[in-house]
Parts: sequence; C-alpha cells; structure tokens
Amino acid sequence: MITAISWKNVWRNKTRSLIVIAAVTVGVFAGVFSMAAINSSVLQRIDAAVNEELSHIQVNNKDFRSSTDVRNVITDYPHVISALESTPGVTNVTGRIIIRGIASTAAKSTGVEISGIDVNKEREMFKLYERLIPGTGSYFEEETRYNSVFIGEKLAKELNIIRYIITDESLEYLAEEKVSSAVISKLETLKGQRYTSDKKLVKAYEKLLDPSEAEKYWWQIKEAAWSYREGSKLILTFLDTDNNQTGAAFRVCGIFRTNNDMFEELAVFVPEDELRLLAGMEEGTYHRAIARLENDDLTKSVTREVESKLPDYEVMNWKEIQPDLAMITDFMGQIYAIFMVIILAALAFGIVNTMLMAVLERTRELGMLMAIGMNRRKIFVMIMLESIFLSIVGGFAGMAVSEVVIAVTGKTGINLVKYSEGMEAMGYSAHLYPTIDIQFFITTTILIVITGIISSIYPARKALKLNPIEAIRTE
Amino acid sequence: MKDYQLAWKNLWRNRRRTLITAASVFFAVFFALVMRSFQLGVYDRMFKNVIESYSGYLQLQHEDYFDDPIIDNSFEIDQVLINDLKEDQNVKDVVPRLESFALAASGNHTQGVIVMGIDPEGEDRVLNIRNRLVRYKLKDEVIDKLINDTIPERTKKLLDIFRNEAYTNAERMMQDLDISEEDSASILPVIRRHASFPNNFLTSDNEEAAVIGEGLSDYLNTDIGDTIVLIGQGYHGTSAAGKYVIKGIVKLSTPDVDNVIVYLPLETARYLYAAPGMSTTAVISLNSNDDDDILQTGIRLKDRISDPLTIKTWQELNALLVNQMDADNKSGMIMIAILYLVIAFGVFGTVLMMMAERKREFGMLVSIGMQKHKLAKIVSLEMLFIGFLGVVAGSIVSLPVVFYGNIHPLRFTGEFARMYEDYGFEPIMPTMLPDSYYIWQTVVVLIILIIAITFSTRKIFKMNVINALRA
Repeated sequence: MITAISWKNVWRNKTRSLIVIAAVTVGVFAGVFSMAAINSSVLQRIDAAVNEELSHIQVNNKDFRSSTDVRNVITDYPHVISALESTPGVTNVTGRIIIRGIASTAAKSTGVEISGIDVNKEREMFKLYERLIPGTGSYFEEETRYNSVFIGEKLAKELNIIRYIITDESLEYLAEEKVSSAVISKLETLKGQRYTSDKKLVKAYEKLLDPSEAEKYWWQIKEAAWSYREGSKLILTFLDTDNNQTGAAFRVCGIFRTNNDMFEELAVFVPEDELRLLAGMEEGTYHRAIARLENDDLTKSVTREVESKLPDYEVMNWKEIQPDLAMITDFMGQIYAIFMVIILAALAFGIVNTMLMAVLERTRELGMLMAIGMNRRKIFVMIMLESIFLSIVGGFAGMAVSEVVIAVTGKTGINLVKYSEGMEAMGYSAHLYPTIDIQFFITTTILIVITGIISSIYPARKALKLNPIEAIRTE
Repeated sequence: MKDYQLAWKNLWRNRRRTLITAASVFFAVFFALVMRSFQLGVYDRMFKNVIESYSGYLQLQHEDYFDDPIIDNSFEIDQVLINDLKEDQNVKDVVPRLESFALAASGNHTQGVIVMGIDPEGEDRVLNIRNRLVRYKLKDEVIDKLINDTIPERTKKLLDIFRNEAYTNAERMMQDLDISEEDSASILPVIRRHASFPNNFLTSDNEEAAVIGEGLSDYLNTDIGDTIVLIGQGYHGTSAAGKYVIKGIVKLSTPDVDNVIVYLPLETARYLYAAPGMSTTAVISLNSNDDDDILQTGIRLKDRISDPLTIKTWQELNALLVNQMDADNKSGMIMIAILYLVIAFGVFGTVLMMMAERKREFGMLVSIGMQKHKLAKIVSLEMLFIGFLGVVAGSIVSLPVVFYGNIHPLRFTGEFARMYEDYGFEPIMPTMLPDSYYIWQTVVVLIILIIAITFSTRKIFKMNVINALRA
C-alpha cells in the first residue's frame, strides 16, 4: 500500500520528477558507457596478451630470463611437457626456442627476439596467424628455398621492408574512401615517390595540402601509400651454443599487425627446425614450454599446481609476466566503483533538493496524514521509497540506454585514430568495442539504491519532525 | 533597494535550497579541481623527468636527424655557433652531444644501447646529472647483512620487496622503506654502512670511462670497475669498437632511457665513432622554461642558424609521450564533463522548482508594476550568486589540498610502489599549483548558469500575469 502511494506521489509533479530522473539517467549512462569503453580496451589487451603474445603459462629454465643464454634450455623437456599435460585445465602445450639476436636488411639493423616455433601447434594455440596483413603472404604456408620468417609491421617499417609509395592504386583507394578529388589531384604530383617512413610521407604532402586537409585525411593517405616489398629478405644473426656468431638469410613470408608496438618490434617467428640447426642445439630441446588453459580464470590455480610439480623450473603466468596487466584487471572493479560513487554523489545533491521540495510543499498533507493516525515509521518509509523510485527509474533508464548504445558501438566500434600512436606504443588498441560484464549492472543497481536511501534521509527526517497540529495549519 | 541586494535577500528566503544547490556546485568544482590538479601535476612531472634527464627543452639538430637518427646526420659545432646562440636573451647554455646506437657487451650479456657522448661539466650544468648518481643500492648481499643487523621487523619485510632497488638519495629510500624521520636517525647509519654505493661521474673530456644507467647495469650484470665493450657503426660506415671502464651508475627516472643509456665523454665518443668535431644534437638550456617562451625562443633561434640545422622543441622530441598524455588528459576531461553534466541537471531542477513555487509572487510583482526585465535581472542575479558561491567555496577549499599535495606529493609505498615502477612510472603523484585550470571551472559553471538564466528569463517574459496570480 505504502509502495503504491509512494509511486503515485512521484508522478504528482511530473516535470520535477522527470528532471531528476533524467539527471540520474544521464549520469548512470555516462558512467556505465565510459566504463564499458575502458573495459573493452583492457579486455582487448588481455586477449592479445593471452592469444597472441604470451599464452597462459610459461615454463623456463631458472636462469633463462635473467641471462637469455642460448644454452639455458629446459633440460628435461619431456618431463615438463607431461607435467603440464597431466594438469587438469591445460588444453594445449608446445615448446619454443628463444634466441636474442639482430635482424638486418641492407638499410638498417635492430635487436629482436627470435622464436623458433612448431608452426602447426602454434596455429592451434595462438591467433597470431589471424593478424596477418592481407596481401603480405601467409603464415608459413608457402614452400620456399629460403628459410621463412614471420615478422611484425613495426619491425618491417624499421627495416624499410614496408615503405610508403603513392601509386595509381593508392589514388583509387583514396577515391573509394571518399577523399575529396582536390586532395587526390594534389597528391598525384607525388606519384612514384618512395618514402621510408610515414613521417617523410607526411612531410612531403604537407607542402601540397592545406593543413585542414592534411589533418582530415592523414590516416587514409597513410593507408593508401602503404607498400610492401614482396619477397623481402632479412638476415638474422645471433650467438650459437658454442658462443660463435652465426646467422642466415630469411625470407619474409608474412607480416602481422597487432595493437602492441613493443611486440611488433621485437618478436620474430621462424620454424623451429631451421633455428635449431643454425643455433647448434640438440634435437628435442627448447627454452620455454608454453601451456594454454581452458579459460583465464584457471590461471592462478593451475600455475600453483604446475609450480609444485616442477620445482626446478621457473613457472610464470601471464599476470606475473606482465604485472601491469594484472594490476589493471585486478583493480578494474574498484576503479569502476569509485567512478560510479562520484557520479552518484553528484546526483544525490539533486535528489535531496527535489525530495526536500516535495516534503516542504506537502507539509499540510503530511500533517493531515499524521493527524488521522498514520504512524511516523510509515511516513518515513513512504518518503524513502519515493526517493528510491526516483533513483531507480533513472538508473534503469540509464542502464537500458547504455545497454543499447554499448550493443550498437560494440558492433561498429569507436575509433580513436588520433591517439593510436600513443596507445599502441603501450599495447592498447585505439579501436574500442565497448562491452561490459553483467556484474557491472548489479553493482550499479546496488549503488543506485544506496544513493536513493542516503539522499532520502534528510528530507524524511524533516517530515518526521513535523508537528501535526502546526503542519495542518500551514498554508 | 538595489537589484543585487534584493537578489541576495531572496536567496536566503529558502536557505536550505540555496545551500544544497550551492553545495552541489561546490562538490563538482572541488572534485574537478583536485582531480585536474593531480592529473596535470603527474603529466608535468613526467614531462619534466624526461626533459630534465634526457631531451632538454630545446635541441639543435641536423634537419634529417629527427626522422633518421643515424650518426651520418650529424653536424660540426664550434664555439662561434655556440656563442651566437648564447646571444639570445633566453638562452642560458648550449651543450653539444654525440648520440648513437651500439651493442654493449659485458661477460656473456649483450644489449643494444644508446651511446651518448657528453661534455661532463656542461651536461651537469644543464641536466644536473650528477644528482642522479646512485648512492645506495639494496643488493642481495646488502639485504642479507641488513637483516642480520638491528633494524625493525617491518623494515626487513619491505627490504625484501625493494630488493635490488637503487636510490639517488636517502630520503627516497627512507620513504620506500617506510621509515619515519624520527626513526631514521637510528636506522639510517645502519643502512648507510651496508648499502652505500661508491660512485663517480665523468671528470674529463677524453677519459676512457663510461657512466651507465642503473637498469642497463642490472641487465648486463655489471658493477663499478667492470669493463663494457661497445660495438657499432661509426661515421660514414666506419666500424666502431672500444672498451671502457664503468666509472659510475646513474638512475634516471625514465626507465625507457635508464635501461639503455651509456654516457661517454664527448671526445671519447667522437674518437669511437670516428667523427672528430661532430655532434648529433646540442641541448639548449633556457632561462625561462615557460611554454610560450620556449616556443618564442625556438622561433628566434631558427633565424640564427643556417640550413642543414634546425631547432626542435621538447614536444617534438617526445611526441609519443605527448600523444599518450593527451589521450589520458582527454579521458580525465570526459570524467569531469560527466560530473558537470549531472550537476547541471541539478541546477536546472532547482531553477524549475523555484520558478514554479514563486509563480504567484512573480505575478503579483508584475501586476503592481515591476518591469519584467527587472524581475528577470533579479532572478538571474540570484542564480549567479548561487553558482559563484559554489565556485568560490570549491576553489577555496581545494587550495589547501592542492598546495599540500604540491609540497608533499601523494606517494605509493610498499608493493604498490614497486608495481608502479615496473610499469615505468614514478610512484609519485604531485599536484599542480593553481593555473588556468581554475579559471576553466568557473567558465564551465558560468555556461551552466547562462543556460539556466536563459530558461528563467524566457519563463518570466512569457508569464501571463492573470494566470500567475491565480496559481
């Protein structure tokens, strides 16, 4: 009965209630949506870390990480593999040879981490092959005379394997991308020129285009001029097991593009047999065993179990290898709660004000109710419920709106191209696909109800303090 | 009675409402200010760290060096050019450097490094590099000794977390180990006895010695007195190789640099790279480091130099960091925008209620001859008063927090600090002293008020006096 009365009371002054509800809607929407955007970038980062870079669990020789010496191999590889495979939750296991070396082309050289991999096994375990840039070859599918190497886009740029050239095709691409024809005709004068870096390309077209045009189309122009020198080769040099310098020419079989510059710059993949031969390593030896789990939640428990089985090895999971990632995932819930509490605290001011109005303008009515025998507890509950209704209606509306917007943007994506450079340097994608866990909605609902209760206390107390005799007499 | 007096009196007719509305504005302003202050303070410190330990505010470079940082894009620098640049009123000093890549090896460890040939004295004048020499290091054996000595249990636990950490001053170490000033008198001598780190900086222009970053020394597993071998490519394709005794270890606050830096005396580096008299960059230190002054000085200096040379500002030199901070800055601004949006709704709600409640009063006033524009003015003044009450209160209350945070920055301790450092950030959050961001809060509140005032003014002018009187 009280509930029904409260609900009706909310709608007695529609405009006033709607303003508060709208405020709550906007606040909750903004909070949930921005959290969904941040959440998506963290999830993408974790997904990339687990599915492309690290996998769930890595086992190394205890000295390997501190010195990366080629001789620090896993001495008893079959034992390690069986220990991993026999642990419940582990779905897939493989080994890697890991050698630090230098990659060079005629133009430049740079330090890399060469991973010798079992191509078929890695294909099952990692999704890196999906990151192949179309048109740059394949993930070790072609048979060639040369050894093959799979490298990142950033490294390819560094080594001048990727350059920027404006060709007829790139001008066509620009036309398709709806770049204005004035810009295209200006760019035509640059046809056939080669630029070894995107900065040089920018410098060249900056002289031709208006600053506003350059600002607007820089991304499209960069994409259009992107050019890959097919069949490029690079030399990998490193120290073998006898500490002698060794190396060989490798043909680039494909180039991958991720959102992590550090990874793209450093990681180089070659089939394990070729690398083992070059490094002079014994058959069946590896530097690292890698395991994949059924899901991310098992990480901690499986790590502990594997650790107890392999006390002579260094067992690390992705959270330990990248503590920053663990920190962000572990604190995500808290960050969200703080964020939401601040927004709701701001909303509480509006609710208090409105409820206070509602109580004061109904002084006479409340006095009357008391006079005819409604007890004070019921009045208190009635006012508190009104306040909760205001916040809940707004809260649910806000969550509904954010659910819709998240669903839409989750499909289309939000592109923060302007910040891609900075974000990708830290390993985060600038293309966000907002998504949010159901847990967030539960937390939000609880917080909203609490806000409603807290902001009703002051107005409800005011109502309780009314003296029925005096209250009835007020105009 | 003057209009503003009337407005002020009106405010206190409904004291509670006025205070709650002003309080909501206060809350938003206070929160926005404190948040902005920390955010801007952290950026400021990050930029200062990288500028003051590595890039400098302005650099003189060969124009191709920026896109293609190889030693072939170097230039000859002489005293005439330096003196010419120094004639500018804002230029304090010009210190040439020779910077290039090399492979550094020590024992079985190899690492790609940045070799920086510096004029030891000049570099110290400009970037105060001597202050960054490691003074204490908590090596494994040091910790073992300390644990057996007389120190509190709590400190022993923290020592384990900060294993292998290096410090350039005792204060920072005391903070990490959570030792209060009173306790430090008894504990510091013990730590000093075991953890002190003998360290020297380069003294002459041509000695065969190197000073390396702390991160690099860890990676190469080297200590003072060890030798490192540098192999790289010299000027115009010559091969460069040399061995140097490590004389000192510095800890730079930017880990990206700390992990790869090798300082050599300038002439030694020139000899190594077979580039006599050449420099790749010259750091220009300024009297005023104000953003605008830096820009103006850069423009003026460009007139003094001739073609292959160019001047780069710290923003250009650290473009990536600027981009990252910019992205982070935008996210902070969105958060504040949300806060203000919510507060704006609260203000509109109040205005709406006030208008409804005082409909009859307004009708009465107009019917006895008050001009509508005068009435609108009084109501507008009321709102401005409420808004400014909030802004002023928010700004005043935020000041102690901001000033305190600037002198005693928020500092993470224990495990959290270690985690932060591993991520490449200093575990310190200073605030930024009041600046233009204070004015921006006022502007935002003013915009909200203007929208509310437009609404109330329209309402008053459209008011039908007869209907209003009957309300």
